[in-house]
Amino acid sequence: MELSERIIEHYSNHLREHGHPPRSVFRFCKELEITESEFFRTFGSLEAVESELWRAMIERVIGSVSAGPEWESFGARQRTLAFLFAFLEASLDVRSLLLARRELFRPLCRTHAITGFAHAHKRFTADVIAKGQETNEVAERGAIAAVYPEVFLTHLLAVIEFHLADTSAGFERTDAFVEKSVNLAFDLIRVQAVDSAFDLVRFLLPRR
Amino acid sequence: MDAQDTPTGQQSIRSSPLSRSAALATTGAVVGINYLKHYGRRAMGGTGSTSILHEENAKAVYRTFSELKGGPLKLAQMLSIDKNLLPEAYAREFSQAQYSAPPLSYPLVARTFRREFGKDPLDLFDTFSQEAKQGASIGQVHQATRGDQQFAVKVQYPGVADSLKNDLRLVKPLALRILGLKESDVAPYFTEVESRLIEETDYKRELASSVQLSNASRHLKNVRFPNYHPEFSSAKILTMEWIDGVPLDRFADGDADQASRDQIGQALWDFYHHQIHTLKVFHADPHPGNFLVSDGNLCVLDFGCTKALEEKFYHLQFQFLDPVLIDDDARLITALESLNVIRADDDADFRDQIVALCRDSLRLVARPFRSETFDFGDAEFMQAIYDLGMESQKNEIIRNPRGSRGSPHTIYVNRTYFGLYSLLARLRANVRTHLIPPGV
Repeated sequence: MELSERIIEHYSNHLREHGHPPRSVFRFCKELEITESEFFRTFGSLEAVESELWRAMIERVIGSVSAGPEWESFGARQRTLAFLFAFLEASLDVRSLLLARRELFRPLCRTHAITGFAHAHKRFTADVIAKGQETNEVAERGAIAAVYPEVFLTHLLAVIEFHLADTSAGFERTDAFVEKSVNLAFDLIRVQAVDSAFDLVRFLLPRR
Repeated sequence: MDAQDTPTGQQSIRSSPLSRSAALATTGAVVGINYLKHYGRRAMGGTGSTSILHEENAKAVYRTFSELKGGPLKLAQMLSIDKNLLPEAYAREFSQAQYSAPPLSYPLVARTFRREFGKDPLDLFDTFSQEAKQGASIGQVHQATRGDQQFAVKVQYPGVADSLKNDLRLVKPLALRILGLKESDVAPYFTEVESRLIEETDYKRELASSVQLSNASRHLKNVRFPNYHPEFSSAKILTMEWIDGVPLDRFADGDADQASRDQIGQALWDFYHHQIHTLKVFHADPHPGNFLVSDGNLCVLDFGCTKALEEKFYHLQFQFLDPVLIDDDARLITALESLNVIRADDDADFRDQIVALCRDSLRLVARPFRSETFDFGDAEFMQAIYDLGMESQKNEIIRNPRGSRGSPHTIYVNRTYFGLYSLLARLRANVRTHLIPPGV
């Protein structure tokens, strides 16, 4: 196993067992029986390890879902749904980690530690949106379309929040939440209503 | 497997518990306004009759129930059938009583497969339609093939059992207040309705009763059943043979000739009679979407809601089909007492009114059994049945009986016969109905 993988594995084990990240690089290295210089040659900080942990997780989900046999036949809405369901399936393996690090994923006050995760997701969303414009599921809105990845990321974080609070059998309520909220999102980015609303808001904004 | 013309273009459904509560709150407001009107009329010197008030409230509640679909509508139906509250609109709504939600996306269907079987749909089947072919009461139907076999695969909406329970909880206090009932009076009915609705969400149970009932009825003329596939079924997924056919309502409203209408009507009648009077377990949801017409055969598709009749209750319930009993005061009273419709502590006047009411409705409802053949195309008969419901809705004795009356099992028998009569009326079928139920 490569050193970076060992570091990540040990980091997540520590999180699972203690419910919080290691206190210092020094102690972390001692536990793992590596030198600090070995650590710093691989990662700049413990935060960087955490960031890489979540980035790798979401990249694995994106990789596996887009390799599925039906992926090419899916439109943007179905791709988004397929990704989210695959993410939920994968998150069962890391549910205890997610619960321990819940505050990192708060939809409205995102932390630095999930930057890599966020970037990977935004790249994925940009592809989905491009597909959606091809299939006319997403209206061309020029500059506004640039905020879609941000909106979708917030939605993903809301799904995670919902999932962690869900106590229904088999997390069926999360499934229903994903299904209904994605349908709403795609209804909104397709129809004219949002454009009209935006137009009105722009009109009402105070002038200098 | 309730056929719907378009699985995509459906009406609005209140989907989240929050918006459902909002819909119920609206009813509360409307009911409140009706009370205001009532007191307003009184203040203006009018009589402000309570029966008008009840009627307006019932309408408001009914509107909300039909918007909600799912649990509350079924509940309203069952309560209203049992209380003989049958507004004419009810008959129309009856055929739309299904949980209509936007169709499930294919990724969620695939997720359900992975959860139930650990495999994707395409690992089990050669082809699998991404779009739903039909809506079903609490799920949707996909078409699949494997080799030269065609399958109908019913996939349940996730969380539907949860949502039914929630709906019932939300609607219970309101229903009690508006229908003018006391909690203790209807507790057994609620328990019965709830347990039956929850049972419908278990497809394993549905599979078992489908196989059992269809094997026990296979010999009936012109009645057909799909083959079931337990190897592709689970608690949330039910797989059966795909049958091409016309949904019963479309057949009935189409231009079929009288002979084929009679043939299908007869099959329907025989099917129900065989179940109720021989098997004593029956398909308690005679909804047109549960039947297909294919090559002059009636295909029975959905055994989600079945009800078993205990021997003792069966005899109590069907003793009323005995033509002699209705005209014999003493026997009729004994029979009504045995079903707890009238009680030993009722005073004579009250008892006479109940007996008279029951006699009138029994005469009407049992009419098809009295002749060799019965023409359900007779519009007057169905109108009389609806009118009976309307009348008893206004009747204070039936609306406010003292204490709990009747048996909770009656709900399903009544619901089934009402549904059967409506279907036969829609088919305008002439049916050989005469029978003496065994053991009466």
